[in-house]
Amino acid sequence: MKLAVISCIHGNYEALNAVLSDIDAQKAEQIYCLGDLVGYGPYPNEVVERIRSLEIPSCQGCWDEDIVEGLNACECSYPSQIAEQRGKLAHEWTNNEIRPDIREYLATLPLSLKRDNLCFVHGSPNSQHEYLLPSMDGFAALERVLSADADVLFCGHTHVPYVRELEDAKLSVTVKSPAQTESPQQFEAPLKRIINAGSVGEPRHGRPNATYVLYDTETTQVTLREVTYDYEKTCQAILDKGLPSIFAWRLARGMEFAERADDPSHVCERLILNYHRC
Amino acid sequence: MQSFDLTLVAGPPGVGKTTWISQFLKDASRPLFYLYPGADVSVDLARIGYRFPWVSVISDEQAPSILTDLPDQAQVFMELGFHLELESPFLAALPGRRIAILPPGLEQPEWRNWADEVMLGNNSQTLEADQLPEIWKSPLTGQVFDPPSLDEVLTELTRRAYGQVVRLKGIFELPDGQAFYVDFVEGLPGIEYTELKLPRWLEGRPNRFSGLEIVGHNLEQKTIVQTVLASCLADDVLFQYQQQYRQLQSEEETVEAETEREVVA
Repeated sequence: MKLAVISCIHGNYEALNAVLSDIDAQKAEQIYCLGDLVGYGPYPNEVVERIRSLEIPSCQGCWDEDIVEGLNACECSYPSQIAEQRGKLAHEWTNNEIRPDIREYLATLPLSLKRDNLCFVHGSPNSQHEYLLPSMDGFAALERVLSADADVLFCGHTHVPYVRELEDAKLSVTVKSPAQTESPQQFEAPLKRIINAGSVGEPRHGRPNATYVLYDTETTQVTLREVTYDYEKTCQAILDKGLPSIFAWRLARGMEFAERADDPSHVCERLILNYHRC
Repeated sequence: MQSFDLTLVAGPPGVGKTTWISQFLKDASRPLFYLYPGADVSVDLARIGYRFPWVSVISDEQAPSILTDLPDQAQVFMELGFHLELESPFLAALPGRRIAILPPGLEQPEWRNWADEVMLGNNSQTLEADQLPEIWKSPLTGQVFDPPSLDEVLTELTRRAYGQVVRLKGIFELPDGQAFYVDFVEGLPGIEYTELKLPRWLEGRPNRFSGLEIVGHNLEQKTIVQTVLASCLADDVLFQYQQQYRQLQSEEETVEAETEREVVA
Protein backbone atom coordinates (compact mmCIF):
# COMPACT_ATOMS: atom_id res chain seq x y z
CA MET A 1 0.00 0.00 0.00
CA LYS A 2 1.30 3.44 -0.86
CA LEU A 3 1.15 5.92 2.02
CA ALA A 4 1.73 9.65 1.89
CA VAL A 5 3.02 11.31 5.06
CA ILE A 6 2.75 15.07 5.42
CA SER A 7 3.77 17.35 8.28
CA CYS A 8 4.17 20.94 9.45
CA ILE A 9 1.65 22.72 7.24
CA HIS A 10 1.66 25.82 9.43
CA GLY A 11 -1.39 27.51 7.96
CA ASN A 12 -0.02 27.48 4.42
CA TYR A 13 -3.12 26.60 2.41
CA GLU A 14 -1.55 27.01 -1.02
CA ALA A 15 1.22 24.58 -0.16
CA LEU A 16 -1.24 22.05 1.28
CA ASN A 17 -3.38 22.09 -1.86
CA ALA A 18 -0.35 21.62 -4.08
CA VAL A 19 0.81 18.66 -1.99
CA LEU A 20 -2.64 17.07 -1.97
CA SER A 21 -2.73 17.33 -5.78
CA ASP A 22 0.69 15.73 -6.00
CA ILE A 23 -0.39 12.93 -3.64
CA ASP A 24 -3.37 12.33 -5.94
CA ALA A 25 -1.09 12.19 -8.95
CA GLN A 26 1.22 9.74 -7.14
CA LYS A 27 -1.81 7.54 -6.40
CA ALA A 28 -1.19 7.24 -2.67
CA GLU A 29 -3.99 5.33 -0.99
CA GLN A 30 -3.74 6.75 2.51
CA ILE A 31 -2.45 10.03 3.91
CA TYR A 32 -1.09 10.55 7.43
CA CYS A 33 -0.39 13.96 8.90
CA LEU A 34 2.19 14.57 11.63
CA GLY A 35 0.73 17.78 12.99
CA ASP A 36 1.56 21.48 13.20
CA LEU A 37 -1.42 22.35 11.09
CA VAL A 38 -1.34 25.91 12.39
CA GLY A 39 1.15 28.59 13.41
CA TYR A 40 3.03 31.29 11.45
CA GLY A 41 0.99 30.91 8.25
CA PRO A 42 -2.03 33.00 7.22
CA TYR A 43 -4.71 30.29 6.88
CA PRO A 44 -4.88 28.19 10.07
CA ASN A 45 -8.67 27.62 9.97
CA GLU A 46 -8.74 26.71 6.29
CA VAL A 47 -5.89 24.21 6.65
CA VAL A 48 -7.51 22.44 9.60
CA GLU A 49 -10.88 22.36 7.82
CA ARG A 50 -9.29 20.73 4.78
CA ILE A 51 -7.48 18.07 6.84
CA ARG A 52 -10.62 17.40 8.84
CA SER A 53 -12.93 17.24 5.81
CA LEU A 54 -10.60 14.76 4.09
CA GLU A 55 -10.50 12.69 7.30
CA ILE A 56 -6.73 12.54 7.24
CA PRO A 57 -5.48 10.86 10.45
CA SER A 58 -3.31 13.46 12.16
CA CYS A 59 -1.11 13.74 15.26
CA GLN A 60 -1.00 16.83 17.38
CA GLY A 61 2.02 19.05 16.74
CA CYS A 62 3.65 21.44 19.18
CA TRP A 63 1.97 24.45 17.62
CA ASP A 64 -1.42 22.71 17.71
CA GLU A 65 -0.85 21.91 21.38
CA ASP A 66 0.11 25.49 22.20
CA ILE A 67 -3.08 26.76 20.56
CA VAL A 68 -5.10 24.33 22.68
CA GLU A 69 -3.28 24.68 25.99
CA GLY A 70 -1.59 28.05 25.74
CA LEU A 71 2.01 28.83 24.92
CA ASN A 72 4.27 26.70 27.08
CA ALA A 73 7.26 25.97 24.95
CA CYS A 74 10.52 24.39 25.95
CA GLU A 75 13.69 26.42 25.45
CA CYS A 76 14.51 24.22 22.45
CA SER A 77 11.55 25.64 20.58
CA TYR A 78 13.41 28.89 20.10
CA PRO A 79 17.13 28.90 19.49
CA SER A 80 17.40 32.66 19.71
CA GLN A 81 15.79 35.63 21.39
CA ILE A 82 14.54 37.06 18.12
CA ALA A 83 13.05 33.71 17.06
CA GLU A 84 11.23 33.57 20.38
CA GLN A 85 9.78 37.04 19.91
CA ARG A 86 8.62 36.15 16.41
CA GLY A 87 7.22 32.83 17.58
CA LYS A 88 5.23 34.49 20.33
CA LEU A 89 3.89 37.04 17.90
CA ALA A 90 2.81 34.29 15.52
CA HIS A 91 1.23 32.36 18.38
CA GLU A 92 -0.75 35.42 19.50
CA TRP A 93 -1.96 36.11 15.96
CA THR A 94 -3.00 32.49 15.40
CA ASN A 95 -4.64 32.31 18.81
CA ASN A 96 -6.83 35.31 17.93
CA GLU A 97 -7.59 34.04 14.44
CA ILE A 98 -8.54 30.46 15.26
CA ARG A 99 -12.25 29.52 15.46
CA PRO A 100 -13.58 27.68 18.55
CA ASP A 101 -14.53 24.56 16.56
CA ILE A 102 -11.03 24.42 15.06
CA ARG A 103 -9.46 24.71 18.51
CA GLU A 104 -11.71 21.89 19.71
CA TYR A 105 -10.66 19.71 16.79
CA LEU A 106 -6.96 20.34 17.52
CA ALA A 107 -7.57 19.29 21.13
CA THR A 108 -8.82 15.89 19.96
CA LEU A 109 -5.66 15.02 18.02
CA PRO A 110 -3.58 12.16 19.46
CA LEU A 111 0.14 12.45 20.21
CA SER A 112 0.94 9.44 18.05
CA LEU A 113 -0.64 7.12 15.52
CA LYS A 114 0.21 3.47 14.87
CA ARG A 115 -0.25 1.26 11.83
CA ASP A 116 1.30 -2.20 12.06
CA ASN A 117 5.05 -1.66 12.46
CA LEU A 118 4.82 2.04 11.64
CA CYS A 119 4.54 4.84 14.16
CA PHE A 120 3.68 8.45 13.36
CA VAL A 121 4.61 11.31 15.70
CA HIS A 122 5.23 15.02 15.37
CA GLY A 123 8.57 15.48 17.15
CA SER A 124 9.52 12.26 18.91
CA PRO A 125 7.56 9.49 20.67
CA ASN A 126 8.25 11.32 23.93
CA SER A 127 7.28 14.86 23.08
CA GLN A 128 5.88 16.97 20.26
CA HIS A 129 8.58 19.48 21.10
CA GLU A 130 11.62 17.24 20.80
CA TYR A 131 13.69 17.42 17.62
CA LEU A 132 14.95 14.20 16.08
CA LEU A 133 17.71 15.79 14.03
CA PRO A 134 19.57 13.62 11.50
CA SER A 135 22.79 14.22 13.44
CA MET A 136 21.30 13.01 16.72
CA ASP A 137 23.38 10.47 18.63
CA GLY A 138 22.70 6.95 17.24
CA PHE A 139 21.93 5.45 20.63
CA ALA A 140 19.35 8.13 21.42
CA ALA A 141 17.82 7.84 17.94
CA LEU A 142 17.46 4.08 18.29
CA GLU A 143 16.00 4.48 21.77
CA ARG A 144 13.29 6.74 20.33
CA VAL A 145 12.32 4.18 17.67
CA LEU A 146 12.35 1.29 20.15
CA SER A 147 10.24 3.28 22.62
CA ALA A 148 7.61 3.65 19.91
CA ASP A 149 7.55 -0.14 19.48
CA ALA A 150 7.93 0.29 15.73
CA ASP A 151 10.28 -0.53 12.88
CA VAL A 152 9.68 2.74 11.11
CA LEU A 153 9.20 5.99 12.94
CA PHE A 154 7.76 8.88 10.92
CA CYS A 155 8.37 12.33 12.36
CA GLY A 156 8.38 15.97 11.33
CA HIS A 157 9.14 19.10 13.39
CA THR A 158 12.65 19.74 12.02
CA HIS A 159 11.26 20.91 8.64
CA VAL A 160 14.10 19.19 6.82
CA PRO A 161 13.20 15.80 5.33
CA TYR A 162 15.55 12.87 5.78
CA VAL A 163 15.70 9.09 6.01
CA ARG A 164 17.94 7.59 8.69
CA GLU A 165 18.64 3.88 8.80
CA LEU A 166 19.77 2.33 12.07
CA GLU A 167 21.35 -0.96 11.05
CA ASP A 168 22.64 -3.88 13.14
CA ALA A 169 22.00 -1.96 16.29
CA LYS A 170 23.51 -3.41 19.44
CA LEU A 171 22.71 -1.88 22.79
CA SER A 172 24.60 -2.66 25.95
CA VAL A 173 22.94 -1.55 29.16
CA THR A 174 24.18 -1.93 32.72
CA VAL A 175 21.44 -1.74 35.33
CA LYS A 176 22.50 -0.62 38.81
CA SER A 177 20.17 -0.75 41.75
CA PRO A 178 20.78 -0.88 45.51
CA ALA A 179 19.09 -4.28 45.84
CA GLN A 180 20.90 -6.00 43.00
CA THR A 181 24.39 -6.35 41.70
CA GLU A 182 25.29 -4.75 38.38
CA SER A 183 23.71 -6.68 35.53
CA PRO A 184 24.93 -5.91 32.03
CA GLN A 185 22.35 -6.65 29.36
CA GLN A 186 22.69 -6.65 25.60
CA PHE A 187 19.96 -6.02 23.06
CA GLU A 188 20.05 -6.42 19.33
CA ALA A 189 17.60 -4.60 17.13
CA PRO A 190 16.90 -5.32 13.45
CA LEU A 191 16.95 -2.52 10.92
CA LYS A 192 15.02 0.49 12.17
CA ARG A 193 14.25 3.65 10.30
CA ILE A 194 13.46 7.23 11.09
CA ILE A 195 11.74 9.02 8.23
CA ASN A 196 11.29 12.75 8.51
CA ALA A 197 8.57 14.12 6.25
CA GLY A 198 9.96 17.65 6.11
CA SER A 199 7.44 20.45 5.96
CA VAL A 200 4.55 21.25 3.67
CA GLY A 201 4.17 24.89 4.61
CA GLU A 202 7.38 26.06 6.21
CA PRO A 203 10.39 24.45 4.54
CA ARG A 204 13.93 24.96 5.69
CA HIS A 205 15.89 23.45 2.84
CA GLY A 206 16.75 26.72 1.12
CA ARG A 207 13.89 26.62 -1.40
CA PRO A 208 10.23 27.55 -0.88
CA ASN A 209 8.96 24.18 -2.15
CA ALA A 210 6.80 21.94 0.01
CA THR A 211 8.12 18.51 0.98
CA TYR A 212 6.47 15.25 2.06
CA VAL A 213 7.20 11.51 1.79
CA LEU A 214 5.69 8.50 0.08
CA TYR A 215 6.14 5.11 1.71
CA ASP A 216 5.34 1.76 0.15
CA THR A 217 4.40 -0.73 2.88
CA GLU A 218 5.10 -3.72 0.58
CA THR A 219 8.54 -2.74 -0.69
CA THR A 220 9.44 -0.34 2.20
CA GLN A 221 10.59 2.11 -0.46
CA VAL A 222 10.71 5.75 0.64
CA THR A 223 10.36 8.65 -1.78
CA LEU A 224 11.00 12.21 -0.64
CA ARG A 225 8.80 14.51 -2.70
CA GLU A 226 9.46 18.19 -3.28
CA VAL A 227 6.50 20.10 -4.70
CA THR A 228 6.50 23.58 -6.19
CA TYR A 229 3.52 25.83 -5.53
CA ASP A 230 2.59 29.48 -5.82
CA TYR A 231 4.39 30.55 -2.65
CA GLU A 232 4.02 34.20 -3.62
CA LYS A 233 0.28 33.88 -2.94
CA THR A 234 1.06 32.76 0.61
CA CYS A 235 3.60 35.57 0.98
CA GLN A 236 0.97 38.09 -0.13
CA ALA A 237 -1.56 36.63 2.30
CA ILE A 238 1.00 36.95 5.12
CA LEU A 239 1.27 40.66 4.36
CA ASP A 240 -2.49 41.14 3.83
CA LYS A 241 -3.32 39.53 7.15
CA GLY A 242 -0.89 41.72 9.05
CA LEU A 243 1.69 39.08 9.92
CA PRO A 244 5.32 40.33 9.97
CA SER A 245 6.73 40.83 6.48
CA ILE A 246 9.89 38.95 7.49
CA PHE A 247 7.77 35.75 7.54
CA ALA A 248 7.05 36.24 3.83
CA TRP A 249 10.67 37.03 3.08
CA ARG A 250 11.88 33.89 4.85
CA LEU A 251 9.21 31.64 3.33
CA ALA A 252 10.24 32.73 -0.16
CA ARG A 253 13.79 31.58 0.60
CA GLY A 254 13.00 28.30 2.31
CA MET A 255 14.29 29.66 5.60
CA GLU A 256 11.20 29.03 7.74
CA PHE A 257 9.25 31.88 9.27
CA ALA A 258 11.44 31.79 12.35
CA GLU A 259 14.10 29.18 13.06
CA ARG A 260 14.46 25.64 14.29
CA ALA A 261 16.59 24.29 17.10
CA ASP A 262 19.82 22.83 15.81
CA ASP A 263 21.40 21.17 18.79
CA PRO A 264 21.16 17.40 18.32
CA SER A 265 22.24 16.71 21.90
CA HIS A 266 19.54 18.83 23.45
CA VAL A 267 16.94 16.98 25.47
CA CYS A 268 13.60 18.71 25.38
CA GLU A 269 12.58 20.10 28.78
CA ARG A 270 8.98 19.36 27.94
CA LEU A 271 9.95 15.71 28.00
CA ILE A 272 11.15 16.07 31.58
CA LEU A 273 7.95 17.89 32.53
CA ASN A 274 5.85 15.13 31.01
CA TYR A 275 7.74 12.50 32.99
CA HIS A 276 7.18 14.51 36.15
CA ARG A 277 3.46 14.68 35.44
CA CYS A 278 3.40 10.90 35.17
CA MET B 1 55.80 73.96 10.46
CA GLN B 2 57.07 70.48 11.23
CA SER B 3 57.45 67.89 8.45
CA PHE B 4 54.77 65.24 8.17
CA ASP B 5 53.39 62.77 5.63
CA LEU B 6 49.74 62.94 4.68
CA THR B 7 48.13 60.10 2.75
CA LEU B 8 44.60 60.51 1.45
CA VAL B 9 42.80 57.28 0.60
CA ALA B 10 39.57 57.18 -1.42
CA GLY B 11 37.45 54.56 -3.16
CA PRO B 12 34.03 52.90 -3.22
CA PRO B 13 32.61 51.17 -0.15
CA GLY B 14 34.06 47.77 0.71
CA VAL B 15 37.08 48.07 -1.54
CA GLY B 16 39.55 47.80 1.35
CA LYS B 17 40.55 51.36 2.23
CA THR B 18 40.79 50.79 6.00
CA THR B 19 42.59 47.49 5.47
CA TRP B 20 45.13 49.17 3.17
CA ILE B 21 45.76 51.93 5.72
CA SER B 22 46.03 49.38 8.56
CA GLN B 23 49.25 47.91 7.12
CA PHE B 24 51.03 51.20 7.90
CA LEU B 25 49.59 51.55 11.38
CA LYS B 26 51.44 48.54 12.77
CA ASP B 27 54.70 50.49 12.99
CA ALA B 28 54.48 52.50 16.20
CA SER B 29 57.94 54.07 15.85
CA ARG B 30 56.47 57.24 14.26
CA PRO B 31 53.56 59.33 15.55
CA LEU B 32 50.51 58.05 13.66
CA PHE B 33 47.21 59.81 13.05
CA TYR B 34 43.99 58.58 11.47
CA LEU B 35 41.06 60.66 10.27
CA TYR B 36 37.77 59.82 8.62
CA PRO B 37 36.16 63.17 7.74
CA GLY B 38 32.40 63.34 8.06
CA ALA B 39 32.20 60.31 10.31
CA ASP B 40 32.13 61.27 13.96
CA VAL B 41 30.14 58.11 14.73
CA SER B 42 32.23 55.62 12.86
CA VAL B 43 32.93 51.91 13.14
CA ASP B 44 36.23 52.48 11.33
CA LEU B 45 37.40 55.14 13.78
CA ALA B 46 36.62 52.82 16.70
CA ARG B 47 38.12 49.78 15.02
CA ILE B 48 41.40 51.60 14.31
CA GLY B 49 41.45 52.87 17.90
CA TYR B 50 40.84 49.38 19.33
CA ARG B 51 43.31 47.63 17.06
CA PHE B 52 46.11 50.18 17.16
CA PRO B 53 45.91 51.95 20.52
CA TRP B 54 49.08 53.93 19.73
CA VAL B 55 47.40 55.65 16.77
CA SER B 56 45.74 59.01 17.45
CA VAL B 57 42.24 58.78 16.05
CA ILE B 58 41.05 62.30 15.27
CA SER B 59 37.46 63.47 15.09
CA ASP B 60 36.33 66.23 12.72
CA GLU B 61 36.11 68.62 15.64
CA GLN B 62 39.71 68.02 16.73
CA ALA B 63 41.12 67.96 13.19
CA PRO B 64 41.81 71.70 12.60
CA SER B 65 43.82 72.18 15.80
CA ILE B 66 45.69 68.86 15.63
CA LEU B 67 46.57 69.10 11.94
CA THR B 68 48.18 72.50 12.42
CA ASP B 69 50.29 71.27 15.30
CA LEU B 70 51.54 67.85 14.33
CA PRO B 71 54.73 66.43 15.84
CA ASP B 72 57.80 66.00 13.69
CA GLN B 73 57.81 62.85 11.51
CA ALA B 74 54.07 62.42 11.96
CA GLN B 75 52.32 60.15 9.52
CA VAL B 76 48.69 61.04 8.84
CA PHE B 77 46.16 58.84 7.07
CA MET B 78 42.89 60.33 5.95
CA GLU B 79 40.21 57.93 4.74
CA LEU B 80 37.71 59.53 2.38
CA GLY B 81 34.29 57.93 2.18
CA PHE B 82 32.58 57.60 -1.19
CA HIS B 83 30.06 60.26 -0.18
CA LEU B 84 32.71 63.02 -0.04
CA GLU B 85 33.25 65.41 -2.94
CA LEU B 86 36.92 64.88 -3.81
CA GLU B 87 37.20 68.18 -5.67
CA SER B 88 35.92 70.18 -2.71
CA PRO B 89 38.18 73.16 -1.81
CA PHE B 90 39.07 71.60 1.56
CA LEU B 91 40.22 68.27 0.13
CA ALA B 92 41.80 69.82 -2.96
CA ALA B 93 43.94 72.07 -0.78
CA LEU B 94 45.40 69.24 1.30
CA PRO B 95 49.05 68.56 0.43
CA GLY B 96 49.34 64.81 0.42
CA ARG B 97 49.76 61.61 -1.52
CA ARG B 98 46.44 60.59 -3.08
CA ILE B 99 45.64 56.93 -3.30
CA ALA B 100 42.50 55.60 -4.99
CA ILE B 101 41.63 51.98 -4.28
CA LEU B 102 39.28 50.63 -6.91
CA PRO B 103 37.74 47.24 -7.64
CA PRO B 104 38.85 45.56 -10.86
CA GLY B 105 37.04 46.91 -13.90
CA LEU B 106 35.51 49.99 -12.29
CA GLU B 107 35.75 52.83 -14.80
CA GLN B 108 34.84 55.75 -12.56
CA PRO B 109 36.95 58.70 -13.85
CA GLU B 110 36.32 60.73 -10.68
CA TRP B 111 38.73 58.64 -8.59
CA ARG B 112 41.22 58.00 -11.38
CA ASN B 113 41.57 61.71 -12.20
CA TRP B 114 41.94 62.64 -8.56
CA ALA B 115 44.53 60.04 -7.58
CA ASP B 116 48.32 60.12 -7.79
CA GLU B 117 48.25 56.36 -7.61
CA VAL B 118 45.52 53.78 -8.26
CA MET B 119 45.56 50.49 -6.36
CA LEU B 120 43.58 47.38 -7.09
CA GLY B 121 41.18 46.58 -4.26
CA ASN B 122 38.52 44.01 -3.42
CA ASN B 123 36.15 42.95 -6.15
CA SER B 124 33.28 44.68 -4.38
CA GLN B 125 30.10 45.31 -6.34
CA THR B 126 28.87 48.18 -4.26
CA LEU B 127 28.59 50.82 -6.96
CA GLU B 128 26.77 49.01 -9.72
CA ALA B 129 23.46 50.82 -9.37
CA ASP B 130 22.91 54.14 -11.17
CA GLN B 131 22.54 56.18 -8.02
CA LEU B 132 24.86 56.48 -5.04
CA PRO B 133 23.82 54.28 -2.13
CA GLU B 134 22.57 55.73 1.15
CA ILE B 135 24.45 55.39 4.44
CA TRP B 136 22.71 54.42 7.66
CA LYS B 137 24.58 54.49 10.96
CA SER B 138 23.61 53.67 14.47
CA PRO B 139 25.72 53.77 17.61
CA LEU B 140 25.02 50.71 19.79
CA THR B 141 27.21 51.57 22.77
CA GLY B 142 25.90 49.78 25.85
CA GLN B 143 23.92 47.21 23.87
CA VAL B 144 24.85 43.54 24.22
CA PHE B 145 23.58 41.02 21.69
CA ASP B 146 22.06 37.58 21.93
CA PRO B 147 24.62 35.79 19.69
CA PRO B 148 22.25 33.55 17.64
CA SER B 149 19.85 36.47 17.15
CA LEU B 150 22.68 38.68 15.95
CA ASP B 151 23.74 35.98 13.52
CA GLU B 152 20.20 35.70 12.18
CA VAL B 153 19.73 39.45 11.83
CA LEU B 154 23.03 39.82 9.99
CA THR B 155 21.99 37.03 7.61
CA GLU B 156 18.67 38.75 6.94
CA LEU B 157 20.31 42.14 6.46
CA THR B 158 22.97 40.93 4.08
CA ARG B 159 20.49 38.82 2.12
CA ARG B 160 18.37 41.91 1.50
CA ALA B 161 15.42 41.35 3.83
CA TYR B 162 15.35 45.05 4.66
CA GLY B 163 16.63 46.62 1.43
CA GLN B 164 19.70 46.12 -0.72
CA VAL B 165 22.68 46.16 1.62
CA VAL B 166 25.93 46.51 -0.32
CA ARG B 167 28.21 47.11 2.65
CA LEU B 168 27.82 46.40 6.34
CA LYS B 169 30.31 46.86 9.12
CA GLY B 170 29.76 46.83 12.81
CA ILE B 171 31.22 46.39 16.25
CA PHE B 172 29.05 44.25 18.50
CA GLU B 173 29.31 43.35 22.17
CA LEU B 174 28.48 39.79 23.25
CA PRO B 175 27.41 38.53 26.68
CA ASP B 176 30.73 36.77 27.34
CA GLY B 177 32.33 40.23 27.39
CA GLN B 178 33.98 39.97 23.98
CA ALA B 179 33.51 42.49 21.19
CA PHE B 180 33.51 41.51 17.51
CA TYR B 181 34.10 43.43 14.32
CA VAL B 182 31.74 42.28 11.57
CA ASP B 183 32.33 42.98 7.90
CA PHE B 184 30.24 42.32 4.80
CA VAL B 185 30.83 43.49 1.24
CA GLU B 186 28.48 42.63 -1.59
CA GLY B 187 30.36 40.60 -4.17
CA LEU B 188 32.70 39.03 -1.61
CA PRO B 189 31.84 35.70 0.02
CA GLY B 190 30.24 35.53 3.46
CA ILE B 191 30.25 37.72 6.53
CA GLU B 192 33.59 38.14 8.30
CA TYR B 193 33.77 38.10 12.11
CA THR B 194 36.94 39.28 13.86
CA GLU B 195 37.39 39.23 17.60
CA LEU B 196 38.67 42.56 18.88
CA LYS B 197 41.49 42.27 21.39
CA LEU B 198 39.78 44.17 24.16
CA PRO B 199 39.42 43.40 27.86
CA ARG B 200 36.32 41.31 28.55
CA TRP B 201 33.47 43.50 29.78
CA LEU B 202 31.62 41.50 32.41
CA GLU B 203 30.30 44.22 34.73
CA GLY B 204 27.15 45.92 33.46
CA ARG B 205 26.66 47.50 30.07
CA PRO B 206 29.92 48.12 28.17
CA ASN B 207 30.94 51.74 28.20
CA ARG B 208 32.95 51.65 24.97
CA PHE B 209 31.92 52.31 21.38
CA SER B 210 29.98 49.74 19.42
CA GLY B 211 27.83 50.45 16.39
CA LEU B 212 26.50 49.47 13.01
CA GLU B 213 26.93 51.06 9.59
CA ILE B 214 25.06 50.02 6.49
CA VAL B 215 25.47 51.25 2.93
CA GLY B 216 22.74 50.32 0.51
CA HIS B 217 19.63 51.13 -1.46
CA ASN B 218 16.00 51.35 -0.30
CA LEU B 219 16.93 50.55 3.28
CA GLU B 220 13.95 50.00 5.57
CA GLN B 221 15.51 51.92 8.40
CA LYS B 222 12.63 51.66 10.89
CA THR B 223 12.42 47.88 10.53
CA ILE B 224 16.20 47.57 10.74
CA VAL B 225 16.19 49.48 14.04
CA GLN B 226 13.36 47.31 15.43
CA THR B 227 15.05 44.09 14.36
CA VAL B 228 18.47 45.06 15.69
CA LEU B 229 17.00 46.13 19.03
CA ALA B 230 15.00 42.89 19.24
CA SER B 231 18.35 41.05 19.30
CA CYS B 232 19.72 43.02 22.26
CA LEU B 233 19.66 41.56 25.75
CA ALA B 234 17.54 43.01 28.55
CA ASP B 235 19.24 44.02 31.82
CA ASP B 236 18.20 40.94 33.81
CA VAL B 237 19.29 38.50 31.08
CA LEU B 238 22.61 40.29 30.65
CA PHE B 239 23.15 40.22 34.41
CA GLN B 240 22.61 36.45 34.49
CA TYR B 241 25.00 35.87 31.59
CA GLN B 242 27.69 38.07 33.12
CA GLN B 243 27.38 36.33 36.47
CA GLN B 244 27.93 32.94 34.78
CA TYR B 245 30.87 34.17 32.71
CA ARG B 246 32.51 35.82 35.73
CA GLN B 247 32.26 32.55 37.62
CA LEU B 248 33.68 30.64 34.66
CA GLN B 249 36.50 33.15 34.32
CA SER B 250 37.40 32.87 37.98
CA GLU B 251 37.39 29.05 37.77
CA GLU B 252 39.67 29.21 34.73
CA GLU B 253 42.03 31.55 36.54
CA THR B 254 42.17 29.19 39.53
CA VAL B 255 43.02 26.23 37.28
CA GLU B 256 45.68 28.28 35.50
CA ALA B 257 47.23 29.38 38.80
CA GLU B 258 47.29 25.80 40.07
CA THR B 259 48.89 24.55 36.85
CA GLU B 260 51.50 27.28 37.11
CA ARG B 261 52.28 26.33 40.72
CA GLU B 262 52.64 22.68 39.70
CA VAL B 263 55.02 23.59 36.87
CA VAL B 264 57.14 25.71 39.23
CA ALA B 265 57.20 22.93 41.84
